[in-house]
Amino acid sequence: MQVRSMHFKARAGEKLADAKLQVNLGRSKSKFVDKRAHAILDLEDFEATREAARQLRDLTLKDLDLWLERFEQEATRRGATVLWARDGAEVCQLVIDIGRRHGVSKVTKSKSMLSEEAGLNQALEAAGIQPVETDLGEYILQINDNEPPSHIIAPVFHKSKEDVSALFARTHHLPPKTDIQELTREAREVLRPHFLSAEMGISGGNFLVAETGSVALVTNEGNGRMVTTMPGVHVVITGIEKVIPTLEDLATLMRLLPRSATGQSISNYFSLLTGTARSGETDGPAHMYFILVDGGRAAMVGGEFAEMLRCIRCGACMNHCPVYQAVGGHAYGWVYPGPMGSVLTPLFAGMENAIDLPHAATLCNQCGVVCPVKIPLPDLLRRLREKQVERHLRPWSERLALNIWSWVAQRPAWYALATKFGVRYLNWLAGGQASIPVLGLAPEWTRGRDFPAPEGKTFRELYAARRAPRREASR
Amino acid sequence: MSSREDILGRVRRQLGRTAENAASGRAAMERHIAARAPGPRGILGNDLVGRFREKSAALSSSVEDIADLAQVPAAIARYLDSHGLPPQAVCWPRFAALDWQAAGLRVESRPARGTDLVGISGCFCALAETGTLMLCSGVDTPAALSLLPETHIAIVPAARVVAGMEEAWTLLRRESGELPRAVNFISGPSRTGDIEQTIVLGAHGPYRVHILIVASQ
Amino acid sequence: MRVGLFVTCLVDLMRPRIGFSALKLLEAAGCEVVVPATQTCCGQPAYNSGDRPNALALAKKVLAEFEDCDYVVAPSGSCAATIRSHYVDLAGEEAGLAERMAKLAAKTFELTDFLVNVAKLEQVPGKYAGSITYHDSCAGLRQLGIKAQPRALLAQMPGVQLREMSGAEDCCGFGGSFALKFGEISAAIAEKKCRGIAAAEADAVVLGDLGCMLNIEGKLRRMGVATRVLHVAEVLAGDAGQEER
Repeated sequence: MQVRSMHFKARAGEKLADAKLQVNLGRSKSKFVDKRAHAILDLEDFEATREAARQLRDLTLKDLDLWLERFEQEATRRGATVLWARDGAEVCQLVIDIGRRHGVSKVTKSKSMLSEEAGLNQALEAAGIQPVETDLGEYILQINDNEPPSHIIAPVFHKSKEDVSALFARTHHLPPKTDIQELTREAREVLRPHFLSAEMGISGGNFLVAETGSVALVTNEGNGRMVTTMPGVHVVITGIEKVIPTLEDLATLMRLLPRSATGQSISNYFSLLTGTARSGETDGPAHMYFILVDGGRAAMVGGEFAEMLRCIRCGACMNHCPVYQAVGGHAYGWVYPGPMGSVLTPLFAGMENAIDLPHAATLCNQCGVVCPVKIPLPDLLRRLREKQVERHLRPWSERLALNIWSWVAQRPAWYALATKFGVRYLNWLAGGQASIPVLGLAPEWTRGRDFPAPEGKTFRELYAARRAPRREASR
Repeated sequence: MSSREDILGRVRRQLGRTAENAASGRAAMERHIAARAPGPRGILGNDLVGRFREKSAALSSSVEDIADLAQVPAAIARYLDSHGLPPQAVCWPRFAALDWQAAGLRVESRPARGTDLVGISGCFCALAETGTLMLCSGVDTPAALSLLPETHIAIVPAARVVAGMEEAWTLLRRESGELPRAVNFISGPSRTGDIEQTIVLGAHGPYRVHILIVASQ
Repeated sequence: MRVGLFVTCLVDLMRPRIGFSALKLLEAAGCEVVVPATQTCCGQPAYNSGDRPNALALAKKVLAEFEDCDYVVAPSGSCAATIRSHYVDLAGEEAGLAERMAKLAAKTFELTDFLVNVAKLEQVPGKYAGSITYHDSCAGLRQLGIKAQPRALLAQMPGVQLREMSGAEDCCGFGGSFALKFGEISAAIAEKKCRGIAAAEADAVVLGDLGCMLNIEGKLRRMGVATRVLHVAEVLAGDAGQEER
């Protein structure tokens, strides 16, 4: 997908002014935050489960090459073909090759963020293969001229039912419906024939189990099952960091993923797929392919940002992020929004293309405390800020301001003088009022709020003044 | 260089992989796999069947208790009638020999087609913790039967209700050895929340899930 | 107990009276308080902007000024957290520095945490009569676990009526340089927080961090909401007026 993160600030401004979007974003608290808080209550020990998940992810990442080889060995033994892709372009080429090999004219897809990274749908269309998104949210985006998703779990979080109603009416050429139940039914009817006629199904993979060579798929709609059961060919596209050791580890992660994502104790459908259809089986693909994608992940292994690879794509971080709640996902400009997107986008799509993202955070850590695998997101964001400074990517005005502040702060006499004048100047600007409505020095601040006036003298001078007469008296 | 070698090579370099640490790494890997250590659990009481019943109902499945398999056809006939559904269905081969005709039902033992409205399956086991059915694909347990029809009826022997996913894996390893092509965990009718985060039942999978808990087999 | 008061740059510049309130509280707790005269800034702006060299220079200065105290106390969750949680990271590989920073970190506390858990102050000196709501600053809450401590101290004041707001733990949108770089988003987050404050229908919002304080006060005034904005030290020391109804 094309990177548009360099326009973050401008897009964020548009999103803040979009009243309809703000209503839709307001659903975050009741639908995600509160539900998740309720769902973790029936775990024996949520914190212990998080710690167990963190440990098993770290254990795997520490020997990622070995675990990937193990997975490949098992998956191959069970009849799947394991392929590797360095980047999005290779993903597209591999999928097209597979499609051509099996005479595929239509593909049904269930959710795959990797396929978004790779721009797969456009590549398939250009190659004469028709892709049909079947996840309701992804389908809505596809028929809206391939609009990008705004949330990794709820792709059309930014849309209202009226938006969907108008879109369906235009695309399906049926009378518009306003009831969500009816809209869902219509989508089901429209997509059913595609499920039954597609020659190939493409899915993502929530987890790859090394012990058994299996892929785990977490869905609610049933489209994941349709896409992987009906067609003769099944292709799984997922990142190399998704491998986990055992079925027991899978059970641990499955206690956290649905709860963290949507507040469910388990997703409606959870499928573990291993290899091709056995002889005599009427369902299931005759051919199964895994495409294991690097796309910037290998470079992170064992490095300063390795903790980010623990991510299980639950979306809890963005649900709890005050910035995401204010501007939504599209402002972030690429596949992954919110805190995890602010870490991954610079690393996958280039630091220069996403300068603002690591800075568009208050470092409040509302994300980190809910991350099921304990990724220290504010620390990673700060580390990205450090990288920007090291590579001289910051504006000169910012460098100058920090250098001046630091220079002065290391020289108490200069500091005392500068601050004495500074607070008197601000006090004078306030003109006797409690706050300053417009401050030329800080326009970003005063456009949206007042700047409170200082008291007018510094603590340093007042404290010194208080002590002086006492010193006099004690002589 | 192939993509595989390129990617694995990069990972190996990042990890400082040598022949020595590869050998010890693989040994540690196999030990972790063999240990199959479970993680922290969910809160669960002693009444597994009761918990399964409670959680299934919370997920919008309907649940009925019956004494034995012989009562299944009559129970299903009542259920279909109460929902205004036609008295016909497809079922797994293991249920073909039940007395469907006596209950006035036309039930065929064959794979489901797009036009079938009701599918009757059994299960490998059921998870009490979350009210979940576990179905394994196979020649005699076609997966599409619990997916394509609008109504899915599942026959669950009470003795096959286990605590949670960990117990299900243990049972599967013991009884099957190898994993089947598909293990499908089903927790209620299909649903979506994609439009305005409002949950709606009946997305692409079944609209209705009806569970018959059979006390004795 | 020889306690070094780390005043913080924002208290020094904007609200000196909070520094004096903190002093009063520490003395009431029986501490011998020293206020190193050359102190300026903990280095947080540089640290959070990714400027490690400047942050380290200021961290070393703080170390030199406060190393000899038994305790270091700051009326700010974010400054205390910088010293407590991040100075060791800044020390890096420099010989012996990490150890010294670790020692400093171990004896650095946010004010209410110190008063409750170290000094064990049983009765705060101040009086206050009125309804308040409390804003939990992010750094204090999530880095230092400051939640019960200010409430425990406020509970020692019979005139205080605490009305918890919904979203007390939600970020106010300050985020240091974030407020200056992304002012629009920052103000939008602040507005949400201020609506929560207004809905609590208290005479004052009380908090423990100057960044939050200036942000919330500035937003409330722009919104035309008259709720007072007070630092917990002022209230506990009896320096916020309102001693009687």
